[in-house]
Amino acid sequence: MNQIFQIIVSGSIQGIIYALIAFGYNLTFSTSKTINFSLGNVMMLGGVIGFSLYVDIHSGNLLGHSYLFPIIGVLVAGMIAGTAIHKFAIEPSLKLKSEFTWVLATLAVGIIIKNAVEQIWSTGDFRFPSPLGDVPFRIFGTGIYPQEILLVVVATIIVFGVESFKKYTIYGKAIQAVSEDKETASLMGIPQHQVVRISFILSATIATIAGLLVAPLTFVSASMGSSLGIKAYAVSIIGGLESGKGLVVGGLILGISEFFTARYISSGYKELPGFIILILVILIKPNGLFGKTMIKKV
Amino acid sequence: MLEVKNLVVAYGGIVAVRGVSLIVNPGELVAIIGANGSGKTSLLRCISGLITPRSGEVYINQTLANEIPSHKRVSMGLAHCPEARKIFAQQSVLDNLILGAFVRTKKEKMSKIHETVEEIFTIFPKLKERQLQQAGTLSGGEQQMLAIGRALMLKPQTLILDEPSMGLAPVIIDEMFNVIENIKKTKTTSILLVEQLAYRALKVADRAYVLEQGLVRLEGNAKELLINPEVKAAYLGVNAH
Ligand SMILES: Nc1ncnc2c1ncn2[C@@H]1O[C@H](COP(=O)(O)OP(=O)(O)OP(=O)(O)O)[C@@H](O)[C@H]1O
Ligand SMILES: [Mg+2]
Repeated sequence: MNQIFQIIVSGSIQGIIYALIAFGYNLTFSTSKTINFSLGNVMMLGGVIGFSLYVDIHSGNLLGHSYLFPIIGVLVAGMIAGTAIHKFAIEPSLKLKSEFTWVLATLAVGIIIKNAVEQIWSTGDFRFPSPLGDVPFRIFGTGIYPQEILLVVVATIIVFGVESFKKYTIYGKAIQAVSEDKETASLMGIPQHQVVRISFILSATIATIAGLLVAPLTFVSASMGSSLGIKAYAVSIIGGLESGKGLVVGGLILGISEFFTARYISSGYKELPGFIILILVILIKPNGLFGKTMIKKV
Repeated sequence: MLEVKNLVVAYGGIVAVRGVSLIVNPGELVAIIGANGSGKTSLLRCISGLITPRSGEVYINQTLANEIPSHKRVSMGLAHCPEARKIFAQQSVLDNLILGAFVRTKKEKMSKIHETVEEIFTIFPKLKERQLQQAGTLSGGEQQMLAIGRALMLKPQTLILDEPSMGLAPVIIDEMFNVIENIKKTKTTSILLVEQLAYRALKVADRAYVLEQGLVRLEGNAKELLINPEVKAAYLGVNAH
């Protein structure tokens, strides 16, 4: 019983990580109808930069300054990455009007980020000590790390914050207007290019924050974002690209099923349920579990 | 004030507008009538910057606007209520209206914007009842009211209307033309109105242009065009009233 509880808790936390990155995919998809496939590696960039500003890579000891340094570092890195991805991968691709150029362009950016980190930084794996310590809480025999609680809290704040921004502010409404109908949005005086750029900055910054939050739970390495990026993409397909609720449910399903498989079948098959669920969803409900049916009258 | 000189609009090989010149003076209501495919919508989309002309010029308040992107033309006082309404279906009626005042929110307080919302509600009481409803669930007529209301939220100097009567029942069309006439009476907004219902449009307009295959076939005082034999034969025929 305890063990099942532990699997559910750990799986859920993994799922929330997926959902957070999927939320990043969702943001830029809604405004630009593209998917930023470099997002997993942007997350890794957050982990690596956060690590470099907090931990001495040679000794593994803390550098000794405040946790504010890595926080500011990942925020700046996210904004720069978002701006650059939009400027060099998305805008030129959208101008070409040939469909799906952005797939290759964003995949390429991801590879460039990964290779650059391997060249400049390291190809190794490093432990990132949590600022909250590494002693788990015990609740009915189930262990939860303080970092895991921090992750859930910050992820919740981010998702609710962004959703409220979209709902209650004029700029948020403008973002939604662009995602619904770019042309009519520009007839309202909304600068659509700027809105798309802001969505990329927001999404990349969420990814780098996720990287900083995840790092203490895994290891920091140049490859920490690769499979996470793909699985988060699977989650956004499972949940439906335009559904916030779907992303959370999709993330939880994937995270929990992975932990169950690892425990009761074999950790070698850990990746299997994700792909099975993904294929089933594509076959049965191609718009995702919570895919919206459009309301439109002509 | 709006002026267009020798405007040519083409889609690849298809030339939709072949050198049109027109002017809308302050406070004036100018109608454009013409058959399906005569280039009316293309002309309007070019005026508001959604498409770039092959040649010719667009002037907004005597400023050459060719290089100005569409969203900045809105700040110059140009509101365009597009063909087929194009309301934001996923957002509420109220949010649609507020988005119409997007450029005003930079300079004006939100309370001013809400004052304008109330003014729109007095013009279209139906919208007030349904302000929190998702716009996509409105009836066709209500959506058209919302589209016009949203354009008026800008407090535009020039209002472009592309077939506001499209797909509406006769009673609603009457209501629509009443609204247009009332906007005209305020004298603060000039209107460029594109309509299939030539008779109704000429009745309400000061001046009009007749577009045929991308060219201005006739132009002049609307009341005179109303009795022009050519116009009568081609546009006022059996559907006159
Ligand atoms: N995006 C486009 N691509 C190619 N051709 C187009 C495009 N838009 C319009 N056209 C063509 O340009 C011509 C003029 O179209 P336009 O929509 O301006 O006519 P209209 O006068 O508004 O017609 P209607 O009364 O039916 O709305 C048509 O022949 C149309 O097929
Ligand atoms: Mg048209």
